[in-house]
Amino acid sequence: MYSLILILGLCAGALFLAGFAKGLRNAILEYRQGKPEPTDVPDYNYAGMAAISVIASAVVIALVGFGPGWIYAGPLLALCTAAGIGTAFFVERPSL
Amino acid sequence: MDKSIFAAMPTLTPTLGFASMIGLGLFSLVLSYGVKTLLVRNTHDFIIADRRVGFGFGVGSVIAVWTWAMAVMMSSAMTYKWGLSGLFWFVVPNGFAVIAMIPFARVLRKNMPEGYTISEFIQYRFNKSKVATAIVTLTMIFGIILEILINLKGTSVVVSTVFGIDWKTATVVGIICVMAYSYFGGLWTSVMTGTLNTLMVTVPAAIVVAAVYDKIPGGTQAVYDAVGRAGAQNLSVLRPDAAAGFGITLAFGLLAATVSDQTFWQKVWAIKSRDVGRTFLWAGALFYPIPICLGMLGLVGIATGLTPSDIGGDIAAVGPYIVSHVGLPLTLVILYVLVILAACYSTIDGASSALSSIVAVDIVKRYFPSTAEGRLFAITKLSVLLGGIIATVIVLSGIDFTTLVLTTYALKTSILLPLVLAILWPKTNTVGFVGGVIAAIGIGMPIYETAGELPGTLSIVAIGGLTVVICGLIGSERFDVTKLRRVSDEIASPSVGAAE
Repeated sequence: MYSLILILGLCAGALFLAGFAKGLRNAILEYRQGKPEPTDVPDYNYAGMAAISVIASAVVIALVGFGPGWIYAGPLLALCTAAGIGTAFFVERPSL
Repeated sequence: MDKSIFAAMPTLTPTLGFASMIGLGLFSLVLSYGVKTLLVRNTHDFIIADRRVGFGFGVGSVIAVWTWAMAVMMSSAMTYKWGLSGLFWFVVPNGFAVIAMIPFARVLRKNMPEGYTISEFIQYRFNKSKVATAIVTLTMIFGIILEILINLKGTSVVVSTVFGIDWKTATVVGIICVMAYSYFGGLWTSVMTGTLNTLMVTVPAAIVVAAVYDKIPGGTQAVYDAVGRAGAQNLSVLRPDAAAGFGITLAFGLLAATVSDQTFWQKVWAIKSRDVGRTFLWAGALFYPIPICLGMLGLVGIATGLTPSDIGGDIAAVGPYIVSHVGLPLTLVILYVLVILAACYSTIDGASSALSSIVAVDIVKRYFPSTAEGRLFAITKLSVLLGGIIATVIVLSGIDFTTLVLTTYALKTSILLPLVLAILWPKTNTVGFVGGVIAAIGIGMPIYETAGELPGTLSIVAIGGLTVVICGLIGSERFDVTKLRRVSDEIASPSVGAAE
């Protein structure tokens, strides 16, 4: 399991850094262009996703009490966090 | 399984400790100088990043400022003390507190797009009431000092536990490392170094925790069985004593820690308006795995029968102790130290940046409005150092900063509901807001002192909220939140050619 987490960790780290580089490039280009940023705040219902993430966190912790394998859920999900942040850079729409 | 599996590592020398602290600081300094050169021309860029922080940096930096030394070390400590119930009550409200910012962030970003600080909002919301704005400004400053202080303490705890460095030396070296790079670049530096630090608290943390379990004879099965033998309640999330002992109080405290914290409000106005909502959603959701992952070290502490005296008396050191004594390769121990340092540095940096926004907008521009941009920029940059200096003096003095903790806690919890209602309820008036905060502290804190944390916290929140509601129902005022759109940008970017 340690080897798997190590390999997945390297992959998540690579995605993160690729995203970071893209985000940094976009930030510099946007700054140089100086185009005014829109001020609209979109209407979006976040309640469902918020509830799912809160409940999921509680469930993951509770599952650890039902079997030793669930101890690795935390480290694996931490890698998802790194990958998720990297993904966020690719999902964002730059103002270029 | 018992604690005989632990042994001190002689290779963990003070030199390695200093190298870790200074190395991380130097890396951030190089990045910071690049940021300053490419992205920062004036005070507006320094304190609000020209309102161009994108979705990726937004998510990364919000997670970074919320991942305190507490999230990294206390997740292990609370699991060690209360079992899975401790982890449950520590983790679940933690991520929720970030997500809970969303409705308030969207209202203010939509209706006050040129804002900088929550104190500024209060100023315009309550007709420039000096008392209301003073209360909020003071609360924000106390909160920032406390954030820096706790994370500075966290830095010195881990470095002294793992490397045997004198805690005072570790404190001074740590704060110099952070202040050196925070000074350049302001919020952009904080956002970018913070995002990189989030990489540190995820991937290396996952690898180290997996390595610890790989090192323990019998692995996860042995730990799981030993934790169960130590007490069946350790594997349950339903311990009522954990909820009453710290869980419910912590939940309110965490909510107050985000909603009543300029570190987050600064992000609200710095992130692109179209991304504000989803940034806090993703940040809250993606934050969860970090303390869950590190909390698994607490189970090792239970399984091996470690006692607080084994780990130096402070249960916050259970994670650092386990990692540095279970026999991991030196590289992984250093990696764990960098995880904690990254968490501490990014929070101190974020708090210092928030302090600079308060100084620029709520102090200099408010009381000395004719201050020229050049002078304002210089003062703003210097103010980044101020919080660090004050926090360092407090830590080094050795005084028990429980009083500061309690004062800040009282202020933040007492303004929580009045602030929420000020944002969301048009009938909230100045008398109710100020009266609510004063009543919450004046009546609620004595209850906290005499009846305990849980009744005290519930009293503070209830009294604050009830006072606002009663005064609002009695009063006839009705605030039109769209009026805030007329609030101009107080620190607008000067025209091209203006001197720095």
